Amino acid sequence: MASRRRTLLKVIILGDSGVGKTSLMNQYVNRKFSNQYKATIGADFLTKEVQVEDRSFTLQIWDTAGQERFQSLGVAFYRGADCCVLVYDVNSMKSFDNLNNWREEFLIQASPSDPENFPFIVLGNKIDVDGGNSRVVSEKKAKAWCASKGNIPYFETSAKEGFNVEAAFECIAKNAFKNEPEENMYLPNTVDVTAGGRQQRSASSCEC
Amino acid sequence: MASDPNSTDHPSDVSEPIPNPSHTEEERLASISLEEPEGNHVAVSRLLSNGSSLPADFHAEDEIEVVEEELLGEGSSSHGGGGWREISEQDGEAVPCSPSSSGYAGERGSSGPSSGIEEVDDGVNLQDDWVPRKRHDDEDDASVSWRKRKKHFFILSHSGKPIYSRYGDEHKLAGFSATLQAIISFVENGGDRVKFVRAGKHQVVFLVKGPIYLVCISCTEEPYEALKGQLELIYGQMLLILTKSVNRCFEKNPKFDMSPLLGGTDAVFSSLIHAFSWNPATFLHAYTCLPLAYSTRQAAGAILQDVADSGVLFAILMCKHKVVSLVGAQKASLHPDDMLLLANFILSSESFRTSESFSPICLPRYNPMAFLYAYVHYLDEDTYLTLLTTSSDAFYHLKECRLRIQGVLVKSNVLVEVQRSMLDGGLHVEDLPVDSSRRSRSVSPYSSQENNISGSLRPHMGLGGPAGLWHFIYRSIYLDQYVSSEFSSPINNSAQQKRLYRAYQKLFASMHDKGTGPHKTQYRRDEDYVLLCWITQDFELYAAFDPLADKVSAIKTCNRVCQWVRDLENEIFLLGASPFSW
Repeated sequence: MASRRRTLLKVIILGDSGVGKTSLMNQYVNRKFSNQYKATIGADFLTKEVQVEDRSFTLQIWDTAGQERFQSLGVAFYRGADCCVLVYDVNSMKSFDNLNNWREEFLIQASPSDPENFPFIVLGNKIDVDGGNSRVVSEKKAKAWCASKGNIPYFETSAKEGFNVEAAFECIAKNAFKNEPEENMYLPNTVDVTAGGRQQRSASSCEC
Repeated sequence: MASDPNSTDHPSDVSEPIPNPSHTEEERLASISLEEPEGNHVAVSRLLSNGSSLPADFHAEDEIEVVEEELLGEGSSSHGGGGWREISEQDGEAVPCSPSSSGYAGERGSSGPSSGIEEVDDGVNLQDDWVPRKRHDDEDDASVSWRKRKKHFFILSHSGKPIYSRYGDEHKLAGFSATLQAIISFVENGGDRVKFVRAGKHQVVFLVKGPIYLVCISCTEEPYEALKGQLELIYGQMLLILTKSVNRCFEKNPKFDMSPLLGGTDAVFSSLIHAFSWNPATFLHAYTCLPLAYSTRQAAGAILQDVADSGVLFAILMCKHKVVSLVGAQKASLHPDDMLLLANFILSSESFRTSESFSPICLPRYNPMAFLYAYVHYLDEDTYLTLLTTSSDAFYHLKECRLRIQGVLVKSNVLVEVQRSMLDGGLHVEDLPVDSSRRSRSVSPYSSQENNISGSLRPHMGLGGPAGLWHFIYRSIYLDQYVSSEFSSPINNSAQQKRLYRAYQKLFASMHDKGTGPHKTQYRRDEDYVLLCWITQDFELYAAFDPLADKVSAIKTCNRVCQWVRDLENEIFLLGASPFSW
C-alpha cells in the first residue's frame, strides 16, 4: 500500500544447474561474486529496486534450483510471473539445448494468457571462462534460437566480471513492464435486494 | 506435530508438539501441522528436512544470524541464533535495545516489566488514545527492529506479490513474501494445506482464501484458533473495502498486483490489528451496546426504524465501538463481525469525521460479492450515524433521512444521554450488588436523572469487586451481544488489559475447542488470575479474579454477576429492535 504508485515485477530465473543463475542474481543485487559453487535449494528470493525511464520498479527475483528434483515446484513458483529469464552456460552445449525444455516447461506450468508474447529473455553466461577458449555455443547460434522463438532478447554475460548484468536486468524490467495489461478490470457489483440481497451461502463462506 | 528433520524415515513423531529450544532453526521450523482438504490433521516432516526443499535454505541463509549478540544481551546465546524469535511487538516507536535488555520480551508474550522490550503504551487507555501510526516503512526483513516485532501480519497474492504488511515496506519485503508463497504453494502441490508452522516460540499461521494468502507470524502465545480468527477478520476487512470480485482479477490475470487497490487503507488494517488486543468483539463475535435507559434507546430505535422503512437497508447509530441502536430492513440482518469491520473502517478513516460521506462498502457476511453504499455522518465527536443502501444514487435521500434522525435525536435528548453514558462508563465490578436486598439500588443506573452523580462518586480506582472479582465479560448468545465490565485496579494499564484479553482469548479457544469441546465450565488458576468461564445455552460468562480468590465465593460471585446483568438487560442490551436471527 504505497503512497506513490510502484510496480512490482515477478521475475523467474530458469536454467540447468551450475549455469550461474544465483551468481547472476548476486552480481546484480549485491554486486558480489563467489567462485564457490553452492547449489540452490528449491528457490532463493531477492528484491531489487530499479529506475527505468523515470519509473520505479521492484524486481522480485525468484532464483530457482536447476536440479531436476526440484521441478515439482513448478506451478507454485511460476504462477503470476511477469518475466522469465532463461540462462545457459556458453561453455556447455547441453545447457543450451535444454533452453527449449525450460521454456516449454515454463509455458505449460505458468500458462500465461498470451504465451506467444510472454516476455522471455536469454542470458548466455560465463563468457569469461578460459578467455572464451572453452566456448562451445556461438553467439550466432544462440541468437538464431532466440529469433526462432519470437525474437527473445539475448545478452551475453559474465556474472564473475559483472559484464552486461546490469543491462540484461534493465531489459528484463522493461520487457516485463511492457507486457503489463494497461488497466486491470476491477468492477464489483452492487447488492441487488430484489434478487434476495444476501448471497446464498456458498461452501466457501463461513458458517455461523 | 513435530518431526526429526534428520530422519525422514519418521514422518510423524506426534509426541513432541513443541521442538526443544536447543534444536537448530530448521528443526524448529520443521514442526508443521497440516490439514488435508477434508480437515484431517496429518503430520508432515519432509518439508524442511535434509535441506531438500526451499524454506530451510531460505531461513538458514538469511534469517538467523542477523540479530547480534550484544543487542540481545544476556541469556540469548543459549537460544542459538534464532533471529526469528527475538521479534517483539512495538506498537509505538522502535525502541532501541539497550545492552541491558534481554531482548527476549517475545519469549513470554507480554511478560513482566523486567524484560527489555515491552509495550510502550503503558498507562494509556487502549481504545481511546491509540492513533494509527506510520508503520515503520523503512524496515524490511533484514532490520533488527522488524525481526523483533512480536506480531506480524501479511497479505499476499497467490503469485507471491505482497499486498499488505503490518510492519515494513511491502516492496522491500517482496522476497519475504515470495518465501511465504513458496511454502504455501509447496504444500498445496502435495494436495495438502499448511495450517501453521511452529518455530520455537513463534507460530506462523496461514490462511488461504482463493488467490489471497494471509499469514500471521506471532510469538504472543495466542492459540492457533485465535490467530486464525484474526486472519479471517483481516480478510473480511479487505473484502469490506474491495469485495470478493478481486478474485476475478486474479482469474483473468495471475500477475495482478492488488496493492494499489488498497491504497490509503493502512490505518484501517493497523487499527483492526490493534483491536485484536483490546476489543473482545474480535474473538467473541458479538457486539456491545452503550448502556442507556430503555426509553432512550427505544426513542433512537423508533426513528431509525422510520427511515429503514423508506428504503434504507441498515440504519446504525454508534458511539465509538458501541451500538446505540440499529435497525435493519425487513429480513435483513447484520452479522456482528460485519459491524466490527464497518465500525473499524469508519473510526480509522479520518475523512469520515470531517464531512458527510457516501462510500461503497461491502459487508462480507451479508454479501461478500457486492457493494453496498454507506452514508456516514458524525453527529458529535464520538457518535455517528451510518445508513446503508443498495442504491448508488441515494445520497440526497440519505442526507434527508439523516437530518430527520438528527432532529429527533436532539429533540428527545438522546445525544445528551449518549454523552453522559460515555462519561459514566459501563458496569463497574465495585457496583456488583452484594446481596439481593441491595440489588434494587443498582438496577437502573442509567434510567434516572439523580443517578447522574453516582458516576463521580463511584470508586473507579477501587480494589475490584467482591470476592476478588477484577473483571468480567458476559455474552448473550441469543442477542449476539456482550457486556464487559470497566477495567479497574489492579488491571489499570493497557499492558495488563491486553494480557487479560489474551487470557480470555485462550479461555474462549479452549472452551470452544472443536476436538474436545464445547465445554460448560472451566476454572483455572495461575500466577496472574483465577479465570472462570461458564457457558450455558443462553450466555457465556468470562470472569477474572485475584489469583488468591476463593473458589467457592468466586463461583457465587459469578452467579451474582449473571443475575446483575439480567437485572440490567434493558439498559445494557439492545432488545427486540429487529429480528437478529442470523
